[in-house]
Amino acid sequence: MRARSSALTKGLVLAAGLTLVLGACSGGGGGSSPGNGHAGLTSCAEQGQANTCNSGPTKAGGTFTYVLEKNIQQWNVQDTNGNTFENGEALQVVLPSVFVPQPDFTVKLNTDLVSSVSQTSTSPQTLVYKINPKASWNDGTPITADDFVYYWRTNNGKDCPPPPASDSTQTKGCLPQSTAGYDRVKSVTGSDGGRTVTVVMAKPYSDWKSLFGAGYPLYPAHVAEKLSGAKQGDAAHMTAAQLTQGWQYFQKTPPSKYPTAGPYKMQSWVDNDHATYVPDPRWRGAHKATLQRLIFKVITDATQEPIALRNNEVQGIYPQPEVDLVNQVKSIPNVTYTIGNGLTWEHFDLNLHNPVLGKYAALRRSMFTAISIKDIVAKTVGQFDPEVKQLGNHNFVPGQAGYKDLVTPTGQGSGDLTKAKKYLTDAKFTGVGSALRTPDGKAVGPFNCRYTTGNQIRQSECQILQSDLANLGIKVTIKPIGAADLGTVLTGHQYDIIVFAWVAAPFPTSGAQQNWVTGGGGNYGGYSNKKVDALVAQAVGETDPAKAAQLLDQADQIMVDDAYVLPLYQKPTFLAVQTRFVNMRNNSTNVGPAYNTGEWGLKK
Amino acid sequence: MLAYTVRRILVSIPVLIISTFIVFLVVINAGDPVANFATSRQPAPSKAAVAAFARHVHADQPAVERYWNWITGVLHGDWGPSVQPNLDIGHDLFTRFRVTVTLVAAAMLIALVLAVLFGVFSALRQYSAADYTITFFGFLFLAMPVFWFAVLLKQAGIWFNEQTGSQFLGTIGEKSPYLESDTFWNAFTDRIGHLVLPTITLALVSFASWTRYTRASMLEVMDSDYVRLARAKGLRRGRVLVRHALRTALIPLATVTALDIAIILGGAVVTETIFQWHGMGEMLVQSATTVDVYRTMAWLLLSAVVVIGFNLVADLLYAVLDPRIRYD
Repeated sequence: MRARSSALTKGLVLAAGLTLVLGACSGGGGGSSPGNGHAGLTSCAEQGQANTCNSGPTKAGGTFTYVLEKNIQQWNVQDTNGNTFENGEALQVVLPSVFVPQPDFTVKLNTDLVSSVSQTSTSPQTLVYKINPKASWNDGTPITADDFVYYWRTNNGKDCPPPPASDSTQTKGCLPQSTAGYDRVKSVTGSDGGRTVTVVMAKPYSDWKSLFGAGYPLYPAHVAEKLSGAKQGDAAHMTAAQLTQGWQYFQKTPPSKYPTAGPYKMQSWVDNDHATYVPDPRWRGAHKATLQRLIFKVITDATQEPIALRNNEVQGIYPQPEVDLVNQVKSIPNVTYTIGNGLTWEHFDLNLHNPVLGKYAALRRSMFTAISIKDIVAKTVGQFDPEVKQLGNHNFVPGQAGYKDLVTPTGQGSGDLTKAKKYLTDAKFTGVGSALRTPDGKAVGPFNCRYTTGNQIRQSECQILQSDLANLGIKVTIKPIGAADLGTVLTGHQYDIIVFAWVAAPFPTSGAQQNWVTGGGGNYGGYSNKKVDALVAQAVGETDPAKAAQLLDQADQIMVDDAYVLPLYQKPTFLAVQTRFVNMRNNSTNVGPAYNTGEWGLKK
Repeated sequence: MLAYTVRRILVSIPVLIISTFIVFLVVINAGDPVANFATSRQPAPSKAAVAAFARHVHADQPAVERYWNWITGVLHGDWGPSVQPNLDIGHDLFTRFRVTVTLVAAAMLIALVLAVLFGVFSALRQYSAADYTITFFGFLFLAMPVFWFAVLLKQAGIWFNEQTGSQFLGTIGEKSPYLESDTFWNAFTDRIGHLVLPTITLALVSFASWTRYTRASMLEVMDSDYVRLARAKGLRRGRVLVRHALRTALIPLATVTALDIAIILGGAVVTETIFQWHGMGEMLVQSATTVDVYRTMAWLLLSAVVVIGFNLVADLLYAVLDPRIRYD
């Protein structure tokens, strides 16, 4: 990988002419034509190929460097503070999960950890996990029900409660990123020498596959027991203080320092720079790692990623795509890339705390109908990804079971001005098209449209909205949000219309509970509809996933009609890797392309 | 001079306290880290988590009390909590300071030596082709946006690597995450290879302004009576240049350089971002965008100390370069 000394001598001679070269070298130039050598990832966008594209047998050896876009400061991904995408990726390599989200948004059972999972009863809902007899931590300790018990007890919000108000150092208690599901568990018990885990739910939970994994892997309970002085193998009787000690140990300690269970082990972590993984000789899973070395390198400025890829300093990048960036990658020889449609989706939100917006559903419907999403896509992400389409659902994206286009049939996002005006005239608004007034004579607007400063795409989105709504006689001013102020603007309701993005989880019911239910953590615009609340609550407790999806769609039908949030499109995701490697795939879920690092390797 | 130095240092203490207090007020009102915490995560954190976070970053304390706790904490080596979990601000600050100093030191030295050489040469050959060429490049480098120049340099670096079939020049970071063979020579060339491009970037920008200073002040000095007298006395040209003219001409440059070092230390933001050196520049950007009060303050405090320090150095340099100046 490094300079050979003969090349170096040659290089030093050339260095003299370096400044002269500057003028001549016009960025790019490498003698490759687009389409050249893009066989690997190109098929990923095709129907049904997401989980299998770019696959192939691997040979031993090679170093693969993959980019992390943020430093990792906190290693407990189950903790609110440590719940970052980068942390999820870095831990996914070494810690086991029961189910792993796949590129096609389904979840796959990790058979290296559990041979089978079954729901043996629905009342009470009972789940039985059979742990793979070979599954063990790399210090030789077998993975048992005790690890599950520890996971449950630290995440249920009861056995390890949040730190008390008097504790400003947060050294007492656990703050899990979400207690969803774990707070419904009645008991977790081991049998069969700890190799069978039986989970009995107090209340049914539809997203039960999200438990013990799905981006939030298991941590070794015996490590926590040992350091907190608890009895080995007895997580069921750990005190809150003991649980906290383990929780905090995993916050502060990179997994290079404790036993893990993955095809790789983390050899070292250099803060703010990189993690190095090497194959774990004690791994007993079905698939052995073939790369000699896997490196996750921190590069916080996405625009530098293509250059590093071209210079062979990294071999795989996963940045947020933009026109320039995609074009730059296209010109790099021997690199294959794919643009996928992610779980993150862009949307306009109305602030229902605004008295006029909150009062008139007809006004909101009319506004959403006047907006042309086609225009928005064409002038933003459509420039590098022709596949982007209007998103028609608030809970599901295309490809997820349960996705139904509920928005487009209503005409919202169509830019249909006639229809938009009809909503207003029917509701007895005056001044339609010139200076809109409510039926009781109050002026509508001017509204502000807010976006995070520096985000060109969102600025364009506000501009298009501005001209679309001008047609209805609504004045919109565009008001950027300072880089650090999005949170203040959202929680302080300092907006009329705002554009930002949400990440849909592979498990939609918990997301719906956050964003749409009255008082939900992500419900910044103050939406409240009792029917929606009831339907979502019912969906969360539904053990049949098909029925749960149906309930969510019923709730969504009401939400579309209430015109609170207008989904625009799924944000594209972008993976580029060198063609000499195989088995890297674009995974737009919360685990990212790192979902299958054990299979990554040099092409045979 | 010692008394003068001590007095200067003592005077700077109230300056530091007042300036940091004003900045502290600005920073704590610049945004709401608690709201950021509450909205930047999915799923949204629980109310208990938000409350715990607010207590952790002391967002619940009144401003004056917060400032007092901070400044007394710093005196005891406690830099306060960061909004980033598990981040030790003091450790972060000095690690980054080291990184930036590494980056800046080489660049400054190169820029200074080249600036003096080219500036003097340019002045001596005023209105010659060489002077025009140096002037042209001086203004070119001054006018060039740093980010653009840096990216161009990276492209040139890649071209160089491709031509030589090596990986000598690095575009990211201080060193490679991993070296095929772990010899001293390899590690050394790897470090150098990563230093080349950012050093050139930083050096050229300072070089551009410093040659202009050297040229102007050299021209002025060469025109002065005492230089003419020295020449008339029949002293050798080289002796006149170095002992009489250059020494005087360096005085304004010394001031400019000393003050610039402080600015460059804090202002290598663009270079550090583009070359992914995790130094002071990145720290400032990160702390500002995340409303990280104590981390911003740590940055400001260190920068203020550096600025005050180099101001003092500039004044002391005067005395060294110009024997007429005496401090007491």
